[in-house]
Amino acid sequence: MSAPLVAENVTRRHKGGGGIKSVSLALEPGRVTALLGPSGAGKSTLLRVFAGFEPIETGRVRAGETVLSEPGKLLPAEQRRIGLIFQDFALFPHLTALKNVAFGLAKHPRAEAEALHWLTRLGLSDRAGAYPSELSGGEQQRVAIARALAPSPRAILMDEAFSGLDPALSDAVREAAFGALAEAHIPALLVTHDPVEALAYADTIGVLHQGRLIQHGTADEVYFSPKSPEAAEALGAVNTLKTGGLAAQTFPLGAKILVRPEGVRLDPASALKARITAVRGGGPIGRCELDCGGEKLVAKGLSGAAIGEEIGLSFDPKLTFIFQTGET
Amino acid sequence: MIVLPAAAVILAGMAQGGGGAWAHIRDVMLMKYLGNTVLVLVLTAAFALAFAVPAAWLVSVYEFPGRRLFEWLLILPLAMPAYVSAIAFSDLLGVAGPVQTSLRSLTGLSATQLWFPDISSRIGLGFVLASALFPYVYLTARAAFSAQSGPVLDAARSLGAKGFDLFWRAGLAPARAAIAAGLALTLMEAAADYGAAEYFGILTLTTGIVRAWESFGEPATAARLSILLIALVVGLVVLERQSRKAPGQFQKIIRTRRHRLALRDGAFAALFCGALFVIAFVLPISRLIWRALNAGDVIAPLAEAARNSIILASIGALFALICALMITLARRRVPRLGETARSVATLSYAIPGAVLALGAIAIFGAGGLLLAGPAAVLALAWVYACRFTASGTEPLIAALDRAPKSVSEAAASLGASPWRRAREIDVPLAFPGLIAGALILFVEAMKELPATQMLRPFGWDTLAVRAFAYASDERLGAAAAPCLLITACGLIPVYMLSRRLTEAVR
Repeated sequence: MSAPLVAENVTRRHKGGGGIKSVSLALEPGRVTALLGPSGAGKSTLLRVFAGFEPIETGRVRAGETVLSEPGKLLPAEQRRIGLIFQDFALFPHLTALKNVAFGLAKHPRAEAEALHWLTRLGLSDRAGAYPSELSGGEQQRVAIARALAPSPRAILMDEAFSGLDPALSDAVREAAFGALAEAHIPALLVTHDPVEALAYADTIGVLHQGRLIQHGTADEVYFSPKSPEAAEALGAVNTLKTGGLAAQTFPLGAKILVRPEGVRLDPASALKARITAVRGGGPIGRCELDCGGEKLVAKGLSGAAIGEEIGLSFDPKLTFIFQTGET
Repeated sequence: MIVLPAAAVILAGMAQGGGGAWAHIRDVMLMKYLGNTVLVLVLTAAFALAFAVPAAWLVSVYEFPGRRLFEWLLILPLAMPAYVSAIAFSDLLGVAGPVQTSLRSLTGLSATQLWFPDISSRIGLGFVLASALFPYVYLTARAAFSAQSGPVLDAARSLGAKGFDLFWRAGLAPARAAIAAGLALTLMEAAADYGAAEYFGILTLTTGIVRAWESFGEPATAARLSILLIALVVGLVVLERQSRKAPGQFQKIIRTRRHRLALRDGAFAALFCGALFVIAFVLPISRLIWRALNAGDVIAPLAEAARNSIILASIGALFALICALMITLARRRVPRLGETARSVATLSYAIPGAVLALGAIAIFGAGGLLLAGPAAVLALAWVYACRFTASGTEPLIAALDRAPKSVSEAAASLGASPWRRAREIDVPLAFPGLIAGALILFVEAMKELPATQMLRPFGWDTLAVRAFAYASDERLGAAAAPCLLITACGLIPVYMLSRRLTEAVR
């Protein structure tokens, strides 16, 4: 019953720069697509184009065969049936949780009962009469999710929807949200600047850079086979090796070498030696800073390392990316 | 709708040939009107700066006994229309007033021997206007001084600046733009003043306009004078706009503890603020109260005027509120259109009531309508809306802007039509502002004098008109009660304003 939400060759420029250029992206029903990219890359613009808040200059946006946006034509947001979940929750402050959820059910014969059903589903049945100001951040967010899903939208768009919450809380909220989403079997877009969130919840990841969609694929594809240095960086900070330096020992000249911090391995047998200059945090997300013949590297998850210690290093080939730069 | 009256005046002034009175006024009176207006504005500016800037500086930067009280007490004079201050001061300082009488009995000199400054003079008018309007400067200056980062002043202190030197070298420069903006507002109101100037018999452009229309019966002459006044006021609006654009604060604002003044300096600061409050507010009010108490039954004859005031001000406030709501909602949908409408409303706020009334007369006259009965009430409500829409728009926008834009977008994404969004989301969110706006508009309309006097239906005296008429007839006892009623109503929005601003500063 639900159809994909598709952007075809869409351009939307902003006056002060920014916006998106010739972006084509299909959001499939039942799948979560994450949009990653630095701020100003055009993530929010694309979301607002899908939502119907911004007109487009080229291309087309359609839901199945229904055209939503074309140059000079814009189906207003209120006629699109696309649910939105905002970073700032955007709950109506003068309405209770229940009335917030029932707002989009104006044509539903039993709006309040349906709204209560959705609140119950997200574990909020006892908070139905509370006003947004009386709810905790996590509760507000769950009300926002229930409100967006209750009118059975044809798609759902989430704008940094989980970044305002503390991590422990946001995990529970995310589980609740994605559980409900999966059941609804509609296309979902998750705009985020957090690669961990994208990798954890998205089926596919799209990477935007300077308004262009530079890669779109499954989470594994984008993580393990980035098509460009920018795509590699969108999924987390990477080490860039200087050609001719450290890299010359292992890699071809004239290439740009990127290594994910989690791809820097402890290898006592390696001829490549490095000294640990700093240790931050610990466990799986602990980071070490290494000095490797004058080059600085960051490694992840080297537990038990001590500052000043000299260790052997190797690079995991699956997490090391070589890009030809054209220089020799 | 809002621009129409002012535009009509300009057109009327340019199109019609001036009557006989115009030739007379141009040759004999014009320079006098213009000269008096400019001189009074300069004097008002000087007095207002002298009152407001030191008070704002002391209250913002230092700690001294009574500071928290003065913070908002010094806003109260805004509740009093300038013509009320004029009536009270002229009573206080006149030959038969308590000040001169006690001076005479102290010195034993007779009225002709004792020299005393004449309050009914241009200097006196400047002083009275400043005493009623200085809170505009005080408010903007206080906001600017309070917005200065504490550490900046601490740094200046550590470099050896103190007292007046600290104010002059570190404090004043960053606040100059804000002070200029407040001053421009003060001067707009001063230029629009009719009651105080007329009461003192000073011939300014505004009194000239009303006289040309009422005494000479020459709307064309009045319209020509209006063009001059509009030009003057637009100049002030431009000044205010420019000041707002001036470079503001670049640093993060860090609050530090206020510097506690030593006993002697603290007493001096309290004395300055206290004297200012007493002179600008307590003295005139208590004189009016004394007058009212000694005048026998002053309330009963006012019932009808009070009823008229309430009816006219309610209709006017309703008109203005509808305009303000439309601007606010339009701004939410089509930001550029809404902003333009907001600027137009702000500009129209600066146009004196006498000029707008003249415009309404010209428009209704062109349509062949006689301004009597309901038509006059309608015309007056329209003029109130033109003049005061801006005062109603600001609290509405402030209330609505507290909710992020995403709230409106969320409603759209849930399928709510623009009409439903306005009705169920925007209006309820703007509701606190709506209440504040309605109150402010009601009081502004109630205080209004010149337009009401020119347009009111025959026999429809309002409190303001009645107060002015009594005072002009030297029936001060009878004038005192309506003056006090108007001021009491004015205290409500001023109190709300002072609370909101004081909280914002904290």
